[in-house]
Amino acid sequence: MIRTMNKLQKIFVTFLAFGLISGGLASCGRTSSASGVLRVGNDAGFGGAETMDPYDGNRTWPTINMVFDRLIGVDKDFSPIAELAQSWSSNEDLNEWTIKLREGVKFHDGSDFDADDVVYSINRMIDPEFDSPIRAVLGVITTALKVSDFEVKLTLATGEADLPLLLADYRALMTPVDSQATIGKNPIGTGPFKMEIFDPAGTTVLLANENYFFGQPKLERIEVITFADSQSAAQALAGDQVDLLLAIDGKSSAMFGDEAKFTLQNIPSGDWNAIDFRVDQEPFGDARVRKALRIAADRQVIADTVLGVGGGVVACDTPVWSADPYRWNGDCPKDTEGAKALLAEAGYKDGIDIEIFTSDVEVHMVELVTAYKEQVKDAGIRVTIKMADASGFWDDVWMKESAFVDSWGQRPATQVLNEVYRSTATWNPTGQVDKDLDKMLDEARATKDQAARAKKYAQIQERLFENSAIFLPYHKTLTRAMSSKVKGVEPIVIDAVRWEKISVS
Amino acid sequence: MINLARRVTFSLATFIALAVVSFLGIDALPGDGCTALLGRFGSDTKIESCRQENQLNDPVVVRLKNWSTDLISGDLGYSIKRDEQVSEIIIPRLRNTAVMAAVAAVIAFPSAIVVGLLLGRFPQKRSSKVVNQLSVIAMTLPEFVIATVLWLVLSIWLPIFPGVSVMPSNASVLQLLPNVWLPAFTLAVVIFAHSMRTMRASVTNVQTMPFVESAQLRGTKERTTISRHIVPAALPPVMNVVALDGAWLLTGTFVTEAVFNFQGLGRLAIDAISDRDTALILPIILFGLAVYLISSLLADSLARIFDPRLRSAKG
Repeated sequence: MIRTMNKLQKIFVTFLAFGLISGGLASCGRTSSASGVLRVGNDAGFGGAETMDPYDGNRTWPTINMVFDRLIGVDKDFSPIAELAQSWSSNEDLNEWTIKLREGVKFHDGSDFDADDVVYSINRMIDPEFDSPIRAVLGVITTALKVSDFEVKLTLATGEADLPLLLADYRALMTPVDSQATIGKNPIGTGPFKMEIFDPAGTTVLLANENYFFGQPKLERIEVITFADSQSAAQALAGDQVDLLLAIDGKSSAMFGDEAKFTLQNIPSGDWNAIDFRVDQEPFGDARVRKALRIAADRQVIADTVLGVGGGVVACDTPVWSADPYRWNGDCPKDTEGAKALLAEAGYKDGIDIEIFTSDVEVHMVELVTAYKEQVKDAGIRVTIKMADASGFWDDVWMKESAFVDSWGQRPATQVLNEVYRSTATWNPTGQVDKDLDKMLDEARATKDQAARAKKYAQIQERLFENSAIFLPYHKTLTRAMSSKVKGVEPIVIDAVRWEKISVS
Repeated sequence: MINLARRVTFSLATFIALAVVSFLGIDALPGDGCTALLGRFGSDTKIESCRQENQLNDPVVVRLKNWSTDLISGDLGYSIKRDEQVSEIIIPRLRNTAVMAAVAAVIAFPSAIVVGLLLGRFPQKRSSKVVNQLSVIAMTLPEFVIATVLWLVLSIWLPIFPGVSVMPSNASVLQLLPNVWLPAFTLAVVIFAHSMRTMRASVTNVQTMPFVESAQLRGTKERTTISRHIVPAALPPVMNVVALDGAWLLTGTFVTEAVFNFQGLGRLAIDAISDRDTALILPIILFGLAVYLISSLLADSLARIFDPRLRSAKG
């Protein structure tokens, strides 16, 4: 027996030793994080179904933005700047736009970028058959015509002064002619980095495009490493296995308090949550009830409870986010008495009982309703929370039940207002029909003068606060975390970050 | 033999019944492969044409029949969401989990048996009591706590092992190896405590039995008493636990794999559930089922080999 024990011990010890050696080798490998290599952590957003086709619903972000360019990008202040376009202009009605292209730009395979590629790309984006998600943004374009090799004319269904901002959507990327069949796995773009190995479930490798038209990237290589959940991604940053996490869970930020080793950036974003009320179902058809439901809550307390202190920027039911030039900054304090009065006027003297559906299909959705319920009870609003199964939420609950939570990503003013609030919008979640609002939206987007247009968008947002069926308490602030070796990542939304300017010292 | 044949038949029947229940259960959940693929903004017409294309509109009985005939012919199905054959997705992940499980098993089981024997034989030693208490703690701690502590100690404070696994999805076993240790240690802690305590209890029980006493009275050497009399009699209950723990190593690694970002079957299952890839969830459930049924069959057969009393007259 002793002999067998010894044998077992030997095996055990050998095993441990082997483990230590192979672990040691691996740790040698990881501490040699070469300068010139940026390791970006990425969420497993679509669980292996990712594609590099920027127009596909399962496009893998932010990798697409390293490989491809837009015609027009956004600057730090969210004004449009030239990327593949050199200049742009429109007619007086804002429904015909001429775009002059940058000359001498080459795709990664050496072929030239020209007007044919632009026409091809835009036609794919607006193709009703393919029905790309980007069609919700650029569906306003009806035709794209080649004028010359480096000039394209876009015709719109209606005047749109902010077309350049819509073209700055992170998915409105330019792809080469006839690339649809191959682009998903073998993307050829004009961008600062070329695809080397596309492995969305593991590690995707990109190499610098030395001929990039904005100048050679400072990095040699980017590795995009996929993590199953945000906690393991945070562990990887703490253990020097990645250099940059574009968004971390606010609760993880304590792990990165050491300023010598880590940089944290808090970036206000345009992502928002809301509680939507169907106007075609009682009692939400009554504008007084809707307003009472919206003014009865303290938005700051809700934002602090749901997102953590500093985790959000309060919104007065406007979907236009804090850094958007069209943002209306109204005042919307908690008004319990006002809410009670409005309810009494609408016939609910003894308060009102409502049901709100929620689900853990996304973060913050359950917390939002819980915080809201606490906030509005003083005004006699008694909320029953209904939990729906995550797998059926978007199909069976969203836009169907009488009241439900909602979540949207960042969009420019003209897009979000037309996509969510316009009476005829496909995804108008409350079913609210407001012809006057539609008219105001038409007028605003067709106003050429910037200042006059801003005034019109402010009036629209004021109207939403009076009349809307969407309680929208906050926009989220993202926390970005990186190793202090990473330089050149400006504290602005990722759409405006220039990947070629990032370096690792 | 008849007994064994009966048990195999029973296991097979259990498998078939549970497979059908799982199929129907998952089918009853809201959402399917097409809603999973097209997501929140999938238009009704697109979802409908996707369902047509993938025959999801057929009656449930027809789909169950097609699915089971495919399964019998070795076709695990097709993931609409991932646009890939299920077997091609599962097999590399299964290999990764198997490597990790094997490492954990080799570390934990032999040492658990040895330590359990020593603790059972010398219960009065102070070190025995300490190890015993530690094993209770190890058993009650959730895996994510063990995992996080191991990560903190062996990756951050003493940077020996990589903290989370970062590797291409088609990594070779050699590339996989450095990433295996921390998750394998985590699993090893759990199953070590479990099987060690079973061994200890079993040894404590066996050594008071008359045949041990009679061996000692005959003047048999301590070493022989242990190897001839105590160990063979103490092992059968431990084999049961080893078999069940072994099954757990292959199927219960969700938490550990998630903490260490390990690309195994557990993480795949979490991904599949979170993006509602029903085509992928079902084979993973069936795999778990098969592993448990086979391992409990195996445990029974092993117990028979070790313990002559369990052999019936019929064999």
